[in-house]
Amino acid sequence: MTESTTAVPIPDRLKGANDMIECDQVNKWYGDFQALKDVTATIKEREVVVVLGPSGSGKSTWIRCINRLEQHQAGRIVVDGVELTNDTRNIEKIRSEVGMVFQQFNLFPHLTVLDNITLAPRWVKKQPKSEAEENGMALLERVGIPEQAEKFPGQLSGGQQQRVAIARSLAMEPRVMLFDEPTSALDPEMIKEVLDVMKELAREGMTMMVVTHEMGFAREVADRIIFMEAGAIVEEGTPEHFFTNPDSDRTKLFLSQIL
Amino acid sequence: MAGGEQYSGVHVLDPEGVDYTGAEVEATTVKPDDPPMPPVQWMKTNLFSSVANSILTVVSGLFALWAIRGILGFIFDPERRWEALATNMRLLLVKSYPFDQMIRVWVSFAILLGLTGLALGLSRSGALAPVSRIASTARNVGLFLILVGFLGPFELGGRIRWWIAGAVLVAVWFGVWRIMGDKARFKMVPMLPFTLVLLGILVGTLWVFPYGDYRFVDNNPTFEAGTVAMTSKIGWSSMWLTLVGAWAVGVAMSRSSFGVGLRKSMPLIWLVAPFFVTWVVMRDPDLDWDHVLSTDIPMFLGFAAIGGVILFFLSKPGLGEAGRLIAIALVVLGLATWVFAFFGWAPLWPMLQKARLSFLLLGIFALAAPTFAGETAKRLRFAGGWVGAMALLHYFATMINTTSTLEIAEPSFLGGATLSLFVATMTMIFSFPLGVLLALGRTSKLPIFRVLCTTFIEVVRGVPLISILFFFVIGFSLFLPQGMSMSQVAQICLGYSLFSAAYLAENVRGGLQSVRRGQFEAADALGLTGLQRTGLIVLPQALRVSIPPLVGQLIATYKETSLIYIVGGFDLLTVANRVISNQSDFLGAKMEPLIFVSFLYWVVAFSMSKYSQTLERKLGLGTR
Repeated sequence: MTESTTAVPIPDRLKGANDMIECDQVNKWYGDFQALKDVTATIKEREVVVVLGPSGSGKSTWIRCINRLEQHQAGRIVVDGVELTNDTRNIEKIRSEVGMVFQQFNLFPHLTVLDNITLAPRWVKKQPKSEAEENGMALLERVGIPEQAEKFPGQLSGGQQQRVAIARSLAMEPRVMLFDEPTSALDPEMIKEVLDVMKELAREGMTMMVVTHEMGFAREVADRIIFMEAGAIVEEGTPEHFFTNPDSDRTKLFLSQIL
Repeated sequence: MAGGEQYSGVHVLDPEGVDYTGAEVEATTVKPDDPPMPPVQWMKTNLFSSVANSILTVVSGLFALWAIRGILGFIFDPERRWEALATNMRLLLVKSYPFDQMIRVWVSFAILLGLTGLALGLSRSGALAPVSRIASTARNVGLFLILVGFLGPFELGGRIRWWIAGAVLVAVWFGVWRIMGDKARFKMVPMLPFTLVLLGILVGTLWVFPYGDYRFVDNNPTFEAGTVAMTSKIGWSSMWLTLVGAWAVGVAMSRSSFGVGLRKSMPLIWLVAPFFVTWVVMRDPDLDWDHVLSTDIPMFLGFAAIGGVILFFLSKPGLGEAGRLIAIALVVLGLATWVFAFFGWAPLWPMLQKARLSFLLLGIFALAAPTFAGETAKRLRFAGGWVGAMALLHYFATMINTTSTLEIAEPSFLGGATLSLFVATMTMIFSFPLGVLLALGRTSKLPIFRVLCTTFIEVVRGVPLISILFFFVIGFSLFLPQGMSMSQVAQICLGYSLFSAAYLAENVRGGLQSVRRGQFEAADALGLTGLQRTGLIVLPQALRVSIPPLVGQLIATYKETSLIYIVGGFDLLTVANRVISNQSDFLGAKMEPLIFVSFLYWVVAFSMSKYSQTLERKLGLGTR
């Protein structure tokens, strides 16, 4: 595993960047089933990592461990120098720095779009209402739907909802964004609008970890691709290396089925 | 936001002109009513579409006629003694409240009606309905009146009066239908002012219509022909004026910033109003001014000032562990005052109840202080909130503990309908938050809360309400701290509140379980604390889902207040069932009061259920 990590060439723009997420020998079990096996990886600041793999390979479990939605049982996870332990204060600190976007959007249906976005800044960061709403409108501007601010999530299309969800996470000014299959629940014509927002985010230098099945996105945006199978990392590499000349047979089989 | 409503055939868009697909829609086109079906064809499609349908129509139609005829025959039977009701109306509504103090009852009622009107006006609530719809309702009522004229046990003159009344209403409909154009007929009319006008007409008839004046004079029922007593006329007219006036004021203020602020504080005002009305207006506290000046006011000032300073200090940002320790010490002190009182230990026990409550409240505020840490203005608001809470607590505690100047033979100054309503209101106010807390406790991860709440809920749900009431009325005083006593009404309210809370808790729990896991995860991922997650995300959604069962439970509790009958209180049902039929002049008149009381219960319960439907629509249940 360590060999493959060193084998990935670091792109120029990431030279000298700090480590943002470090996972060391992370293991997790659901009952007797081992969901993560010795997952070890380091993600640098401003890096965009796409995690690929067949369903049930532990991709989602892994990124959900990074902000403690799931609890790992062995190994170390360090986010921006803070280790995830059972200490609630560490968990709160990490959660306020790590944004997460879900497959099912998980917007709050009883709040308007703008209230969805301003809720956490107002209650967690104690921002005054006016400031939070100003920032919220700027974010809606950024994801391209400022005119929907006063509507409720149920009145928006899936793509619009997911863009609101991204804006909601960005409102906390996170240093890392985790995306858990952000486009899997969307109709094809809506996938693009969400991916465009994500590409823009990557271009602005956000550290991103993306679980997805969008190969085009992976090829175009990722600095590195991590391929998982049965809870373990099988291969990692640059998109070019991964899509044209993968090392493992399992990766080749996966690519032949998906492309 | 379902601001408009859906009437059959008429599509009303909501005010912003948005629909749920997110696309703009034309807000001007209104789909007209489907062309009215000729009556014969309507009957063909709906009543006689097949042989079986025709048989069912004829059989159930005959049954309905027979039932209506029977009911009318009962109501208008000359042997019915409705004057027993009319003469005893005051007894039913307020029991033995002194007649010369009756203005207090009217003032209380006016306060509540004024608040209702203000709330309706401020929120500019009220649906719209097309004129044609109002007209067809009038026609239906008119047809029913004509039917009553045929079926009731009347002389010919009586029948003709019913027919004329019915014909007038049908003529209204016919006029609207023939004279008005399509446009005028489908004009939307706000229903609330319309209802207020109808109520006004009803109140107006008190001045002209010969209802008759029934009353007791020296314990003898007397009857004077003519309109009702002057006190009723003036009373009800001023009630109507209060309602309409408050509504108009509310509408006028609704756009101003003061109006918006007032609307936001309306829930709090509603919460305080019942206490204010029952303990201040209806009771007329006989204040001992020496005690007030020497003890009550200094005590309030002391708590407000010292507590305010402590809380201002505790909300200083970055106080850390030290602040937490002080807060815990204050909680311990607050609890200690209660424990000491319970065992009668010197030196803390001979202390006024409100002082103990203040200490406990100070501890709770202190625990919450870090949430309000921030700039000075915010901290001052927090301290100000404490002073406000103290003012309310000390004001009400003093008023409740002061004896009343009203001389009433019974232990309670409430009786009849006022007692029933009081118990129902207090039960709603106290059981709702308790039920929510119990539901949260039962679904909590902390085992001690979970076990305690589950045990409480299961025990209370497994015990009949009557036995709980008996326990509280007979045995509860044994559990009170030394020197503390509780009036019978308070014990009854407590019993009802705990009983109702257990059931409400189960309804809320159902709502909690319907909130999807993703909502918890999203709240966690944003860094909300557990308390914020529950209060801002989970509970609002859970309560919205549980509105129908919650209101159902509240209605059930309201109807169950008639069980006060069994533990010896003089509530509405007791007066109707036992008092009136024992009066020598109305011996055995039992059915009439019972029918009337049932009708009163039904009116309130039906309004509550209607209100819950409006609430569901307003919160958009099922649409988003």
